[in-house]
Amino acid sequence: MYEDSQQRMAIYKTAIQKPVTTALIFVAVIVVGIYSFMKLPIDMFPQMDPPYITVMTTYPGASASEMETNVTKYMENALTSVDHLKHITSQSKDNMSMVVLELEWGANMDEAVNDVRSYVDMTKSNLPDNCGTPMIFKLSTSAMPVAQYSITADETYAGLDKILNDEVIPQLNQVDGIGNISLSGAPDRYVYINIDQQKLDAYGLTIEQVGQVVQANNLNLSSGTIKMPTEQYQMQVRSEYIESSEIEDLMVTMTPAGQQVFIRDIATVKDTIKDLSLDEKTNGREAVRLIIAKQTGANTVKICHQVRDELAKIQKQLPSDVKIEKIYDLSETIQNSINSLEESVMYALLFVVLVVLFFLGKWRATLIIGITIPIALIVAFIYLGVADSSLNIISLCSLTIAIGMVVDDAIVVLENITRHVERGEDPHEAAIYATNEVWVSVIATTLVLVAVFVPLTMLNGMAGIMFHELGWIVTVVCCTSTLVAISLTPMLCSKLLRAKKVHVDENGNLIDDEAGKKTWYDKTVVRMLDVIDAYYERALGWCLNHKTITILAIFGIFGLSLLPVITKQIGTDFMQEQDNGRLSVTVKLQRGTRIEETLKTARALETRFMVLVPEIELINTSAGSNDDATIAALFSSTMNNKIQMTVRLPKKWQRDKTIWEIAEILRQEMARYPEIVEYQCTVASNGPGGGGGSTVNVEIYGYDFDKTSQLAEQTRRLCMALPGARDVNISREDDRPDIKITVDKEKASRLGLSSATISTYLRNRVAGMSCGYLKDDGSEHDIVVRLQEEDRNSISDILDLTIPTPSGKKVKLSEVASIGEYWAPPTIERKSRQRIVTVKVTPYNTSLGELAADIEANVLPQLDLPAGYSTHLAGNYEDQQETFSDMILLMALIILLVYITMASQFESLLMPFIIMLTIFPAFTGVILALWMTGRSLDMVGALGVVLLVGIVVKNGIVLVDYINLMRERGYELNKAITMSGRSRIRPILMTAFTTILGMVPMAVSSGEGAEMWQPLGIVVIGGLTVSTFLTLFLVPVLYGAMTKHGDRDKLEAIRKKFIFMDIKVKK
Amino acid sequence: MKSVMIVFNQANTGRVEYMLDVLNIHGFTFFEQVQGRGTNGGEPRRGTHAWPEMNSCVITIVEDEQVPALLESIKKLDLRNEEVGVRAFVWDIVATV
Repeated sequence: MYEDSQQRMAIYKTAIQKPVTTALIFVAVIVVGIYSFMKLPIDMFPQMDPPYITVMTTYPGASASEMETNVTKYMENALTSVDHLKHITSQSKDNMSMVVLELEWGANMDEAVNDVRSYVDMTKSNLPDNCGTPMIFKLSTSAMPVAQYSITADETYAGLDKILNDEVIPQLNQVDGIGNISLSGAPDRYVYINIDQQKLDAYGLTIEQVGQVVQANNLNLSSGTIKMPTEQYQMQVRSEYIESSEIEDLMVTMTPAGQQVFIRDIATVKDTIKDLSLDEKTNGREAVRLIIAKQTGANTVKICHQVRDELAKIQKQLPSDVKIEKIYDLSETIQNSINSLEESVMYALLFVVLVVLFFLGKWRATLIIGITIPIALIVAFIYLGVADSSLNIISLCSLTIAIGMVVDDAIVVLENITRHVERGEDPHEAAIYATNEVWVSVIATTLVLVAVFVPLTMLNGMAGIMFHELGWIVTVVCCTSTLVAISLTPMLCSKLLRAKKVHVDENGNLIDDEAGKKTWYDKTVVRMLDVIDAYYERALGWCLNHKTITILAIFGIFGLSLLPVITKQIGTDFMQEQDNGRLSVTVKLQRGTRIEETLKTARALETRFMVLVPEIELINTSAGSNDDATIAALFSSTMNNKIQMTVRLPKKWQRDKTIWEIAEILRQEMARYPEIVEYQCTVASNGPGGGGGSTVNVEIYGYDFDKTSQLAEQTRRLCMALPGARDVNISREDDRPDIKITVDKEKASRLGLSSATISTYLRNRVAGMSCGYLKDDGSEHDIVVRLQEEDRNSISDILDLTIPTPSGKKVKLSEVASIGEYWAPPTIERKSRQRIVTVKVTPYNTSLGELAADIEANVLPQLDLPAGYSTHLAGNYEDQQETFSDMILLMALIILLVYITMASQFESLLMPFIIMLTIFPAFTGVILALWMTGRSLDMVGALGVVLLVGIVVKNGIVLVDYINLMRERGYELNKAITMSGRSRIRPILMTAFTTILGMVPMAVSSGEGAEMWQPLGIVVIGGLTVSTFLTLFLVPVLYGAMTKHGDRDKLEAIRKKFIFMDIKVKK
Repeated sequence: MKSVMIVFNQANTGRVEYMLDVLNIHGFTFFEQVQGRGTNGGEPRRGTHAWPEMNSCVITIVEDEQVPALLESIKKLDLRNEEVGVRAFVWDIVATV
């Protein structure tokens, strides 16, 4: 063939001439894409390290304020120089100091940890001698539980610990990628020997003696080898307890009268479960909470599925009264969110294809577009696979955004080829030459999109984490679509498009077979579009004759649309809270409330909640404190006076009330209890910002505790009066009532006692003396000797405790020590090296921004701050402010880049300016959409606004480009404008509709997690709709107003340039 | 001998080549990517933003008796799709080597 001899081989030419290669390359791309897709882990968000590093230092014996001055301050001073540090906060408690560094999101955590380590090492010499080595740890996502199950039992409750540890946990540990599995509230078997103080005194015994007896009788000891004439035996004394009842029969001592005293005479031996300190109940039944974490980078969904399957298997082996119930399972939320997003992507694809079919009316052309879109999207999966990312909300959202844009390139190419084919050209040649005509401008429009999305990848902070991936994906997808548009699309066109059917009749005349034949499509859609075209042309003509009115009207509409903003009808939020069907309730009672009393309130609340909200599926309650330091304890700070509940509700589409309404019902119930000091009812979130809903925090800085506490209380009261404020909480813990025993050193030393021995004795008597283990089937159960409860539950009982002296005498505690009740100072919290109290406020039925403004206007001025005290609004509100200012900066950058791209494309400074003005109508649309839906603008919505800049200018580009073309072809200005308008309204409407309809599934989705991306859909739909409509008038009119009218000036200029024509030739 | 210059839209390349083959015309000189504009209507072919399409040109030297058939074929080609465009011009060949 002749074409092979051509030297200039453009990509589209190669593609058309080598259809097999081209097709197979894309088949390969699809296969790799599908492979990546299948390999991709599913997760909620892109992998991110929470940027928190904690430095914990212990200093035994130091009080909170000593801790603050001697340890925390040094640490803070040293650590403030860590790179990328955002906030430094600290807590100083008795014996412990904890400094938490919050770095910028996206900072390199390994580097930061090294940095922190070196600073800690530097400051170590300043710390007091007895200080422990500071521990540095970073919070990692792997430490956060991915699932929690509640295990309830009736008869077998006492043995639950053993069942769980021996059967359940080992089996679960086999799941690949599973991290720490911990239990909360598991009953431990304990053997308690409760001694009667009076009987002990009567026999002249001490607890320690009893303990020694118990210990001495519980051993297995090798006692040598016995050699017999032929054999040899190991000899062993085996006297470990087999049954706890054996302990009762141990003899402790013999009275002078010769009477034997057995343990049963002075004590009761109880083989029971450990004294209550942490109480777990599920729906009121005794429960154990199984907390499951995953290893870093492991696939949450896979693990949760396997855990669920394993548990179902295990359930069958367990006693019939043991029930395993899910409290929550992160994978469900993730899976549901991802599923509903995948659905959105599918619908978007369908809508886009339908729009194309509607406007083009040709199934072959639609098929070509339909083939090219998925290829561009599939490449996104390859990118995700290469970037080690996952299938998450962000990546799928990006795809939905991209779908509406990827068709544009293909449409431009397709349209031009179709035009050529309809002229009677051969599809093969038409494909080559028609692509040749448009490929440069296709790449140029893609550059505009790249100018919008690449800056997103450079964002810092939390927004950066969220939008980094979005930026890359849309960029990758758009570039791929361009590549596809100039290779695969022409190839497919050359193969799939059919030349117009013509034949030569017997007379040698060329007959058009299709002329005069009208399909139903021509009769309906084409006619309708023709009507629109004609109407638009007329309207545009009118506008061109009334330019001032038109421009004023459009900017008037823009001005009017600002009203909702000026009157503060549109609030701002950080991120929308999601209705995941899970509430977390925290209740605080008066400090020092006995755990049993707390439990009563907990039971009452459970019952009432169940009555008030019959939808509740499960309530898991934990109260009290777990003295074992497990990883799980990091995430739950229960104390004797605190109740923590997880309330599980059905999925949001299975109930009528929203989760916020339910939360409000629960709050109102809790407000009725006089014993409840503080309560909080938050919607559990899976956001990257960690648990808890979004809050406005009022930070009060100041040194004096009383003063700041008072200010905090005042703030709290004022905030509670605000209509939109809920869950107002003060971060500072109330003073803790302590019983302090002060040893009289002189008396003590006279008796040969020291403070150390006295404290050991006290511990043995009150907390109990640990004396070995009772072994049962390989597990060890503690044996504890202690006083019976009646002898140690009042101050006078404590004073009456008997303490043995080295000389064998016995004294009462009251003889060597005095006792007093004290209020221990609270935990000292600091931020930015200043003491701080935080008042947290959660918005209800209002947005974060409005609440913050309300607080700023009505609360803060009323506080009378003495010199040296200051307040600051923080929390998610601060994050929001930061993100918004980032976004504004980003938008400025994007506008500039888009301007530059367009200016170089048109080689003009004016044209991009005209096009840029279409952003104003877009803002109008955004405001109207938000106002009509009653939504607030959040981070995701703000992203939508930024994206709009790139999306709406495309309409303008199409229009201006065509007007320029018409002008170059010599048409008069107004004629050129109206002609272009008429010719370009269909492509503009088509691309606008593909983008708008692509977003619709996102905006109306009611699936789980949909709250998060809905604002993006709403913003883009609103902005693009209004902007498209107004652009159709604004751009042509501005073009008309800003460019020079006739060609006369132009001709004059050319004439001046070529003056040689004026020279008279002398003959 | 006559020289026939056929100027045609690139998109007609295949058809022009077929036509020459059918008419048994072997020799030609091919000029790719030539610009032009017509005197009697038709869109200019300038390869610019305004007029992006381009022409190609074939000059073939044929025997005098072949010319009418060739011109007729070119006319047929033009009738097939007038918008795409093809033109031909004939002049004499004075000498060859």
